[in-house]
Amino acid sequence: MTSTSPDALVAGTQAPWRRWLRRHGWTLGVWLLLFLLIAYYATLIPRFGAFQVASIVNNATPLVFLAVAQAVIVIAGGIDLGVGGMLVLSSVTAARLMEGQPFGVTIVLAVLILLAAAVINSGVGWIITRSNVPDIVITLGSLYVFQGLALAVLPNPGGGTSEGFRWLFTGSDTGIGTNPWPAAVMMTVAVAAVAWWMGKTRSGLSLYAAGSDRTAAFLSGINADRVKIMAYAVGGAFAALAGLANTAIAGRGNATTVGGNLTLNSVAAIVLGGVALTGGIGSAIAVVPAGIILFFLNPILTAMGVDPSSAQVIQGVLIVFVMAATGIIEWRRRRQA
Amino acid sequence: MSKKTKFPAWRLLTVLAVFALIAAACGGDDEGGDDTFTLGVSNTLVGNAWREQMICAIKAEALARGNVDEVVLQNRNTDVAGQIADIQTLISQGVDAIIINPADRSALDDVIAEADAQGIPVISVDAPVTAPEAYFVSNNQVEYGEVGARWLFETLGGEGKVAYMRGLDGHPADTDRDTGWVAALAEYPGIEVVYENWTGWDPSVGAQQALEILTTMEVDGIWTSGIDYTVVEQFAVAGVDYVPIVGADNNAFIEQLMNTSGLVGAGVSNPPSIGGVGAAIALDILEGKDVSQETLLTPVVLDSMDELEGVYIPDLTAGWSSYMVIEPYVTYSDAQAVIDCKGPGE
Repeated sequence: MTSTSPDALVAGTQAPWRRWLRRHGWTLGVWLLLFLLIAYYATLIPRFGAFQVASIVNNATPLVFLAVAQAVIVIAGGIDLGVGGMLVLSSVTAARLMEGQPFGVTIVLAVLILLAAAVINSGVGWIITRSNVPDIVITLGSLYVFQGLALAVLPNPGGGTSEGFRWLFTGSDTGIGTNPWPAAVMMTVAVAAVAWWMGKTRSGLSLYAAGSDRTAAFLSGINADRVKIMAYAVGGAFAALAGLANTAIAGRGNATTVGGNLTLNSVAAIVLGGVALTGGIGSAIAVVPAGIILFFLNPILTAMGVDPSSAQVIQGVLIVFVMAATGIIEWRRRRQA
Repeated sequence: MSKKTKFPAWRLLTVLAVFALIAAACGGDDEGGDDTFTLGVSNTLVGNAWREQMICAIKAEALARGNVDEVVLQNRNTDVAGQIADIQTLISQGVDAIIINPADRSALDDVIAEADAQGIPVISVDAPVTAPEAYFVSNNQVEYGEVGARWLFETLGGEGKVAYMRGLDGHPADTDRDTGWVAALAEYPGIEVVYENWTGWDPSVGAQQALEILTTMEVDGIWTSGIDYTVVEQFAVAGVDYVPIVGADNNAFIEQLMNTSGLVGAGVSNPPSIGGVGAAIALDILEGKDVSQETLLTPVVLDSMDELEGVYIPDLTAGWSSYMVIEPYVTYSDAQAVIDCKGPGE
């Protein structure tokens, strides 16, 4: 024992813990909110078992991936209205190409679609950095382009995929069942990978740097344009992953799915997940429960006897509330500092 | 100051944990009485008059039967993947039967099989599904497409250019109507289809397309998949003479056919109150009655003044159909029950 008193020792070990809580409090809060809602939901319905859990996890998967796509891009200082269009495009492309193919082929096609989406969306990022036109304008264009391309790829709803591919996202050859694990593993692996990249690697951390202050990032030797293009590429791949999940759930593609609505849901999810729309702040891990909660609002409101059409109103109010709350927290933090 | 930030965080966690415990503790489940039922409804097109009336008819029938304690609605604009999730939600809510208007013919098969496996019958209203377990209650949509097309081609004397304004792309009813349309068209070689598009069963989209047709091309007749009265309005907007037009039994269209001079047309019946028939079938199944797996209504062509006056209801919401009491299926005896749109407990 040195001269350090036990009290100081405790304080010393507590400080980083408190710091961790302060930094990750929002993430923890959203996860808690999710479990709270699930616990509440369980009391509202007659039976809560594997079927219910699988139903929530599986069907929330597309929105979770789409929210992660949006989070990566917004953290890097952009915003991508095209992610919903990319979801639809990748979903119908998968449905068209995978129909009647064996499992192995569908996996190869899935990888190719993810790569193509990354390349296409990095092109969107490149146009934004070259043209200096705001992200919101260029990606509004890409939303319409993707949606239009989707109609060209699959003019009528249809197509298909392999049973194994459906299992990969839904835990069942038929897209419905009592096994939430494959979807949970898919989400965990994909999100852990992107969270590790953004939190531990040089290129990932440069997203935060470029997103919070372009000039400062430039002065410290970061090529902000390159970072943005990279963010759009990763975001595009995640949007495509959401599309693949959609195809796995439905077992087919539908180009008339409105991508714009999906985009708005992704923005709502990242706001709830604590990502600052101004860039530079947020984490992919907090966006996961936020995405699940947004999907979950519909079943829970139904169970409460609220008309689901008012779910949109509640979703809107929730976003305003969260924005106000984050604003107040930020303001208090600044005043204390 | 650091203590200040420490306590709220702890307090928050404690409050959340207490809430979770309370919520988990009051998980009392009252399954309801033995003789009452809960009906689930899944509809994927909102803000559409036909679908709203369909749901009102379901509620009216549920109320009239007296043994339904609740109608649980999954009513939102969504696609097939969304409807699969919605039906799973209804299964989770513990409903006794599910009435759906399917967004796709075969993509719902697996979720319907799951509902069936959990002892919940599924009744597909308005359009068929391929699931062998499902009950099917509908207007005969193939015939709907065919009789309307035949009326139009006959009225044109078997010759002329026609516009084909379809419904919702991929919807089974739209596909079926197309089958009927194609069958009729094959018998009239003199008819040329100069325009084909989907209105998405949206009156404003239909109006837009009609204006485009009337101002940019010559047509001798128009077939619509039930988007009719807003199309008729566009003739006046474009300042062109009326051509024969086929629509559905929308009250506003019926009124136009009765009162507009120079307008020739026919309404083909496609009552949204089929929803009430669906609810009646669902309850028959739950009550243990012997029910046929398929219930098809034969569409009728309304084109004479007598027929039109027979179905017309003054002061009805635009876009609503006039034909509501579908005998012998439904229990409610008055169209007002559907117009009131009140289910059990409302």
